[in-house]
Amino acid sequence: MNDIYLAKTTQSPEVDFRFKEHVLSMTGEAYPENANDFFHPILNALENYLASNDGKDIEFNFRLTYFNSAATKMLFNMFDLLNESAASSNRIVLNWYHDEEDDTILEFGEGVQDDFQALEFRAIATTSA
Amino acid sequence: MQLDMFNAFCNSADFSGVIFYYNGELSQNVVATMGDALKGRLEEEGNLGPKARKLFSSYIEMVQNALHYSPLAPNGGKLGAVAVGKRKEDKYFIVCGNLVEKKHMERIREKIEPLRSMTLEEIKKAYREQLKNDRHAEEDDISKGAGLGFLTVARDASEPIEYAFDEVPGHSELARFYLKAIV
Repeated sequence: MNDIYLAKTTQSPEVDFRFKEHVLSMTGEAYPENANDFFHPILNALENYLASNDGKDIEFNFRLTYFNSAATKMLFNMFDLLNESAASSNRIVLNWYHDEEDDTILEFGEGVQDDFQALEFRAIATTSA
Repeated sequence: MQLDMFNAFCNSADFSGVIFYYNGELSQNVVATMGDALKGRLEEEGNLGPKARKLFSSYIEMVQNALHYSPLAPNGGKLGAVAVGKRKEDKYFIVCGNLVEKKHMERIREKIEPLRSMTLEEIKKAYREQLKNDRHAEEDDISKGAGLGFLTVARDASEPIEYAFDEVPGHSELARFYLKAIV
């Protein structure tokens, strides 16, 4: 399974999925012109990776500071995939980095925590640069 | 434009509290570049905290809506106008105007009108329900997104969002749509 690396652009995040190390990270902002086109290949690769692993300790570092409504839906689907895997086969820690002043990201995170309880959710407050 | 008219234009914008204004063709490049400029402009305002993010979020939802749904203007291209400005008491407004097809006016009205009388808690609840709605694509074949755009703008606003439609002279199938939020 090949790792995925996409560099950050103004409107799309850095995606650094190190499947071999079981460390997956997303950093930056997400408001691509077409959220489906951007996220579908990533979600497909993630789904294949999760399906072909069992009993692994997986770390997901979520460091997005902004995502538009269409990207939010895609992220929700992504957490759903992670949750299903965590409920059945892998142990998944979701590190939720959020600016301490940003209530929107934290609230979204709290919703993710409520909806996807198989994930080990860790909120990590950061200070704005 | 004569220089004194430009001066009058700038003074009038200042007087209305406008800190950012664009009117012209929209593309994803324009959206992203202008977004960067808006972020910079909001930083200059100093200490806006979460308000800056909410304004940026409203900006993206509004202009991407215009980009995705407005019909091509009579002379080609997607057109939109957006203004961000300051009101009294540390509140900011953002307003976006773009063309829509008249046949979609009722649909837009039906989506926005209920949001105007909902409390923030009700908006957040509706947002979460829509986020979990896997049938959105079947229920709404016009939508190209997740059906969360207006809900996101309403969630980030501190007062009920406002909207209006206007005639486009000479084009009976088109209307001008304005959406305004106070953050």
